[in-house]
Amino acid sequence: MNPKKILIAVDASENALRAVEYTGEIVGNSEEFHIELLTIERFSDRDLFATDEEWKEKCGERQQAYKDFLAKARQILIDRGVLEGNILERYIDSCKSPLRPPSHECSIGTNIAQEIMNIIKDEGFGTVVIGRRGVSKEVEFLFGSVSTKIVHYAKGCTVWVVS
Amino acid sequence: MTQQVRDLVEKYYPNFPIRHSGKIYRDTTEFMNISYGDVIFIDGLHYMVLRDEVERRFGIDDPKYWVKRCKVLETGERKIVKLVFYEKFPITFGNTKILCHRSPEKEARILDIVRGDMRFMQGFSSHDDVNNNMRVIDIIRGRSLDIEVHGIEEGHETYFMESFPVILEKFIGACEAIGFLHGHGEKHGDVRRDHIWIKSKTKEYCWIDFDYTYDFSQNPFALDLFGLGNILIFIVGKGDCTVGSMLEKGFTEDDMDRLSRDDFSIIFQHRLVNLRKIYPYIPEKLNNVMLHFSLGSNVYYDTVDEMLDDLRPCLDILGP
Repeated sequence: MNPKKILIAVDASENALRAVEYTGEIVGNSEEFHIELLTIERFSDRDLFATDEEWKEKCGERQQAYKDFLAKARQILIDRGVLEGNILERYIDSCKSPLRPPSHECSIGTNIAQEIMNIIKDEGFGTVVIGRRGVSKEVEFLFGSVSTKIVHYAKGCTVWVVS
Repeated sequence: MTQQVRDLVEKYYPNFPIRHSGKIYRDTTEFMNISYGDVIFIDGLHYMVLRDEVERRFGIDDPKYWVKRCKVLETGERKIVKLVFYEKFPITFGNTKILCHRSPEKEARILDIVRGDMRFMQGFSSHDDVNNNMRVIDIIRGRSLDIEVHGIEEGHETYFMESFPVILEKFIGACEAIGFLHGHGEKHGDVRRDHIWIKSKTKEYCWIDFDYTYDFSQNPFALDLFGLGNILIFIVGKGDCTVGSMLEKGFTEDDMDRLSRDDFSIIFQHRLVNLRKIYPYIPEKLNNVMLHFSLGSNVYYDTVDEMLDDLRPCLDILGP
């Protein structure tokens, strides 16, 4: 594992923004660090919408928000001195997405933390950075906490939890 | 009243009071208008409506106007027909509100997945002339798990030693059934003790009503798991144990003083989860499964299988 190969798992939240800013501050313009910004798409179920069109529209809006966030995160890193060539962006579609191109890599979405851990292991990331919501136990129980699960699952890598 | 219905009644259901014959519906959009004596046309058969189904809540019958108890005129079978009723409403879990939806399409999909699997209610779906989904459900003769447990008259210790092991074994099967749904990417959506029906003849446990869903993409199966945890706590406790009910059962203020906030449910903060504190004969292993649903826990189950891995071994240590 290379500790200077960093994966930042982001959604489009304020917590993710803090994680990006923190990483940018730490890494700065150091050439040895490579950063990958990872977003795993999560959409509401089709069942929640009366028509396919409504669902697709909502998914489209959500996808745009994710992609806008990735672009913003990249710029934040650049602004803090991270070399442009050392930043990668990766967007994984939901397998249930109505917008997904066929045979594209996709996320089942039932355990995002495990999917992140698989990427870390398979691709040799030494550091994973994630924002934390700081929610009550009740909310964590119901909605799950990706950061808690990553801390729980992580082996052979360092986890930065930014809250 | 239409002549067509009158003719059908005379041919297939001569005992039916002919003056109550209604009309034939091929468009079920206005389900409130479809009532006793009307006929719904589904896939070539005529379903005569006998009544609206009711759900008993807080001792009051709550009519479900979109769910009709029917007799199939051509075959004489009784069926339940569920019509389209799109409904959104918030449900509150502790301090958290979640938006719930009723989805006929989801229930229709699950009916296809579980066809022939008797751990689930059986039926099929069809569409009316204007493409409304209609689900035709087989009627289950039996009663719900909560009624069954409440009907057991023994005191808790006798219940726990004699009746509970069988109930737990059946409940584990019901959990496996929910795990099966999750394996197919579906959630039950409304896992409650009155949504498990126990069939009179076979005593099999059978899940009913899959039409709820909720906006919960972050942790899609969490509410089902939470529901299973609640049912487990209910069957272990032979009912809900709240501070109020414990006093009624003869526990003292001293008993209450030994309980802490962490011993109660993470969501329903008045329900005791750490039942071993009041029923010390509950094995620690079983109690530990329930504690995953307590406020004191920092570890939660992510999957039904994780819970079952802890729950199955409990069967071996139960009984007198």
